[in-house]
Amino acid sequence: MKNTTIAVIIGLVLVIGGIFFFANAQSISGDYNNQNSNTSQASQNGNVQKVVLSLKNYNYYPNMITVKAGEPVSISLDNSIQGCYRYFAIPQLNLGKALPTPSDTLDFTPTQKGTYRFQCGMGMGYGTLIVE
Amino acid sequence: MFKEFLKELNGRRVEGEMLKTAVVSLLTSAIFLIGIYFLSLKNISEFIPKYGLDLFFISLSYALIILVVRQIRAYKEFACMSGMMIGMTLGMISSFLIGFYVASINGMFFGGFFGIAVGFLFGIWNGKCCGIMGIMEGMMAAFMGGLMGAMTAFMLINDHLKIAFILVFIISAIIMVGLNYMVYKETKEREREIKEGYFSVIVLTFVLMAITTWFIVFGPRGGIFA
Repeated sequence: MKNTTIAVIIGLVLVIGGIFFFANAQSISGDYNNQNSNTSQASQNGNVQKVVLSLKNYNYYPNMITVKAGEPVSISLDNSIQGCYRYFAIPQLNLGKALPTPSDTLDFTPTQKGTYRFQCGMGMGYGTLIVE
Repeated sequence: MFKEFLKELNGRRVEGEMLKTAVVSLLTSAIFLIGIYFLSLKNISEFIPKYGLDLFFISLSYALIILVVRQIRAYKEFACMSGMMIGMTLGMISSFLIGFYVASINGMFFGGFFGIAVGFLFGIWNGKCCGIMGIMEGMMAAFMGGLMGAMTAFMLINDHLKIAFILVFIISAIIMVGLNYMVYKETKEREREIKEGYFSVIVLTFVLMAITTWFIVFGPRGGIFA
């Protein structure tokens, strides 16, 4: 068999195999967040709106949080979150803090209504904060 | 000159055996994976969605690396500059590719150091064609490539990682073809020094695939992958 024939066969196997495995692969990619985005309302404790985030499919869960403007918010991360995901930031509000244990919190009071992105220290884990 | 190299892919020199080497390596990986899947791994829930794409690209990566190793081994010794480039390219690409694919399952720590181990193997083995300088270059490149590959996979986890799988492989393949061409240019006036059959390709592919498959399916996981 000539090597050009072998090259064509290798190419076909690669394309067919690639398409099969690519189509069947679990969502270890950016499309995860579009398929599985989830919303949560902050729970009220006195006048503080409490949010506890965990980890699901390599991202914060829930990754869409709704809070009320003008009332204090307290965000904490549970034990499932590890590594750089434990640095929590909301860049548009100039907020960022390492939360090494579940009892550590990021406390702030949103004053302006709007939609803000929250993320880990390197921007790998992310979500949306909606201030109503 | 590059046209001559392409013609040699059908010739009688070692370059004429490179595509066959890739086929033998891919067949070995396919037979191993199909066999082990029906013997044991099919009991793991969602095995193909979880590990299929990774194992597919790991098989391709080993075929790509092993065909270059065959070409280099055929000429045994090289001048210092060429040997350093060989050690660096093989150490870097092998550790980057394997670190990248393993880290997307096992996390950055385990993926990175597994990639470094594979890179050390190929970097030292092939870099020694020019002595200690090639070995050093291979080790340093493996150290850097393993961590870089793993870190890239880890940071892309929520950002089009599947597409990155394909692009990383294509870029690595282009670099490896460059190395093939460089070795061809350096050796076209020389006679081949070692002639081997395909047994070593089969054994090497089998051993590497067995270790890597075990590691990504049953091995330790770190950080958010735990």
